[in-house]
Amino acid sequence: MADFERQDGTTRDELVQRIALMEKMIAEGRQSTARYGWMFVLWGLTYFAAIAWTVYLPYTEWAWPACIAACSVAFGVVRTRHRAGGTIDNLRRHSLDAVWQVIGGGIILYLIAVIVSGHGKEPDYLAAVLFFNGLANGVSARILRWWPQGVAAAIWWGCGTAMLFFTTRTEELALFVTATFCGMILFGVYAMWLERHAAAGMVQAHA
Amino acid sequence: MPELPELDPVVHGKLRLAVLSLLVGVEEADFTWLRDKTGSTDGNLGAQMMKLEEAGYVAMQKRFAGRKPQTLYRMTPAGRKALAKYVSALKRLLGGAL
Repeated sequence: MADFERQDGTTRDELVQRIALMEKMIAEGRQSTARYGWMFVLWGLTYFAAIAWTVYLPYTEWAWPACIAACSVAFGVVRTRHRAGGTIDNLRRHSLDAVWQVIGGGIILYLIAVIVSGHGKEPDYLAAVLFFNGLANGVSARILRWWPQGVAAAIWWGCGTAMLFFTTRTEELALFVTATFCGMILFGVYAMWLERHAAAGMVQAHA
Repeated sequence: MPELPELDPVVHGKLRLAVLSLLVGVEEADFTWLRDKTGSTDGNLGAQMMKLEEAGYVAMQKRFAGRKPQTLYRMTPAGRKALAKYVSALKRLLGGAL
C-alpha cells in the first residue's frame, strides 16, 4: 500500500472514500425507483368519492366518469412535478409502468363504457373493477417479488369473488369499500411509510 | 513484489465515479436527475459527462418530453467493463480492508 501511495499520490483514505461514494450512489439509484405509494392512496380516495357520490348525490351516472377525470388530472399534475426533478428508466420500472398503464387504462375505459352505455349492472361492473385491480397488483407482486402486494391482490380477488355471491346493495358496497380501503388506501399508506423509512435510513447511513 | 493495478483516471474522478455508479443501476437517466443526485452544477456535470462520452463509457441521447428537451444518458458495455475493472483494482489495492 505504501508503494501505491508513492506512485499515484492517492491515499488509502481516498480509496475508501471512493468505495463509500459508489455505495451511496448505487443506493440513491435504487431508492429513486420506488415512489408509488401516493398513487394508491390517490386512486383509493377517488374510488371512495365515486361510491359516495352514487349513494348520496344525484346524477349517479356521472359519478365514476367525473371522479376518474378529476383524479386523472390530479395524477398528471403530481406526476409531472415528480418528473421535474429528473427521470430515470430501468427494466423493472418500465415493466411496472406498463402493467399499470395498460390495466389502469382498461379499467377506466371499461367503467366509462359500461356506465355511459347503461348496459352493465352495478354488482357486475364493480366486481370486474375489483378483478382488474387484483390482476394489476398480482402482476406487480410477481415482478417485485413482494408479498404484501400479493396480499393486496388476494384482497381484491376475494372481494370481487364475494361480490358475485352477495346480492344486496349494502353487501356490494361493503365489499367494494373493504377492498378499496385494504387493497388501495392501507396498502398505499404502507408503501409510503416504507419509502419514507428507506429514505431516512439511507440519509443516516451516509451522513 | 507483485505489480499494483492502475486505476482508470476517467473512472477515478469523483463526479464521474458518482455518475457511473448511479447509471449502473438504471437503464437510462436524464441530466437533471444526475445533477440533483450528485449535487453538482450544470457546467461541471456537463464537462464530466463529455469526458465519459469521449471515453465511450456513456452514450447520450437527446429527445423531447412533451415540449421540454431532455438529455438522456445510459451506460455503455465499455462503461460497465471499466467500472468493474476499477472496482476489481480497488479491491486489490485495499486488500483485506474490503
